[in-house]
Amino acid sequence: MSSESSLFGHCWLPLLLVAPLMLLIVLFFYVPVFQAFYWSFFLEQPFGGGSEFVGLQNFARVLSDPEFWMAGWRTIVFMLTASTLAVAVPLMLAIAADRKIGLSYAARNILVWPKGIAGAAIGVVFAFIFNPFVGLMAPLNALFPGLWNPGMDGTDAFVTLVAAHVWSGIPFNFVILLAGLRSIPPTMYQAAAMDGASPWRRIADVQLPLIMPQLFLTFVLEFTESITSVFALIDTMTGGGPGGSTTLLVYKIYIDGFRGFDLSGASTQTAILMVFVLLLAACQFVFLGRRINYER
Amino acid sequence: MVENARSINIVASILLAIGILYIVGPLYLTLSTASQSYEYILTNGLAWVPGTELFTNMAKVIHDTRIPVQMLNSMIVAFSNALATCALSFLSAYAIVYFRIRWAGVVFALILATIMLPLDIRVITTYQVASNIFSPLNAVLDVTGLNALTANMFGAPVHLELSVLNTHFGLVAPLVAHGTGTFLFRQFFLTLPKDLFKAARMDGAGPIRFLIDILLPLARPSVASLFVLTFLSGWTQYLWPLVGASTPDMQTAVVGLARLVPDSDGQVPDFPMIMAGAVLVSLVPLTMIALLQRFLVQGLVLSEK
Repeated sequence: MSSESSLFGHCWLPLLLVAPLMLLIVLFFYVPVFQAFYWSFFLEQPFGGGSEFVGLQNFARVLSDPEFWMAGWRTIVFMLTASTLAVAVPLMLAIAADRKIGLSYAARNILVWPKGIAGAAIGVVFAFIFNPFVGLMAPLNALFPGLWNPGMDGTDAFVTLVAAHVWSGIPFNFVILLAGLRSIPPTMYQAAAMDGASPWRRIADVQLPLIMPQLFLTFVLEFTESITSVFALIDTMTGGGPGGSTTLLVYKIYIDGFRGFDLSGASTQTAILMVFVLLLAACQFVFLGRRINYER
Repeated sequence: MVENARSINIVASILLAIGILYIVGPLYLTLSTASQSYEYILTNGLAWVPGTELFTNMAKVIHDTRIPVQMLNSMIVAFSNALATCALSFLSAYAIVYFRIRWAGVVFALILATIMLPLDIRVITTYQVASNIFSPLNAVLDVTGLNALTANMFGAPVHLELSVLNTHFGLVAPLVAHGTGTFLFRQFFLTLPKDLFKAARMDGAGPIRFLIDILLPLARPSVASLFVLTFLSGWTQYLWPLVGASTPDMQTAVVGLARLVPDSDGQVPDFPMIMAGAVLVSLVPLTMIALLQRFLVQGLVLSEK
């Protein structure tokens, strides 16, 4: 990338510079990742009670557990609905805010606020707003009893989770997509307008194709994000209930590991979830990434 | 360019209004509920109009709960996370870009891979490592047979133990083990002109001098962006502080806030007090966003280029 003379030639200084971060990354990233896979082949006793090699028994146990499949299925449903909405809503807002209209300045400011609100904090707030007895839906519930109750109805609980997730995902996706839109050269619009494309037509034919890299990126990150960061929302809003209907895999791993002290089971599920996340990213790069033209 | 874009502008305005309402609505309801009394919520439900009890409720949170000390913890965690991430990733990106080393590509790939698997996924085993940060070393000594050797020679194998659970270091370190900062600084260094480096060399600047006198002043905006970004991420963490700290006095404010909500379903919880807690906990990051929004937006864009 650069000629020999444009680099320093020290041998021990770069090592010293990289060492602190590398040490932390090895200790708190590579060792835990390795250990999750390692433990999935052992029966670990809690509180350091020794371990025993059991081969694939942990996987057999986890994979034959219907609870695991239910949690996995809910994870996928949540990932697809929540991340689609968490990209589509900021996309519409970004396209709107890219126009020179009165509200766009205010929107660019206000729409990044959620970045400062913790997932758990907005979970607490949404749990209150959607509370069936004192919340937003309480008047409707008084008219039609049983219409809305996230504490009893799994679908209602799922909807509140998605609403909170989209809320906290807006800043990042909005900023990225808006930056993509703003980097489109104005000549493109002018050329399209000369050819008779209306503002509506230009959304589909100029803006969307040209922000494909950003759109792809937000999707890739949002898939992982929706699987992992949902923990704070579940723990504060539903506690995995009602009847396990919002127990996603990341929450089930926490419950199994920290409440049930089933370290082997939790590690095995962690290993499976890691492989899933990595495969997902790889698939997206292979199937989606290739079709996207990064040239401008 | 003059053209009739009225229909699209109307639709865009409506969309933006809905978007703003979606973001501000919950925040407004939090604030208005926090300013009402418990009795008001019991009889009227959601508070659409602000009341006069805001400071009473906040005082209740400050006196009756551990939120103040927990906010101090959050401050320490968020600040050290931001500072350590900025410093360590600046140094490692510097080594990767400006030194003739063969392993630069491998190290960068190893650092970047951390972005793929967030802390929330690997929390079980990260907890195990944090409960004894020497456990990898012990395992290495066991596997390589060195421990059998020392057991023969000195009568006992080497077994070191140090838990970082329930310490500020333990709350921060796993957050710092992340590749975004290195990625951001590497991108920034690569955009700088090559001649800058050559000119500095010609004037006799060594690696340290080049780092401190030339790169650091140039990188100030990027450092600020990363600082804001990692500060906010440190403040808003939930799962790791939840398991990494077990005593209320070590927990962070966000975890403390979640603990304000009682587990039992019996009666309606004291929502005004909880909402006052939510206001308090969100005050610091929101102030930061208000003051340093330029850097936040820049950071979000830079970290994904």
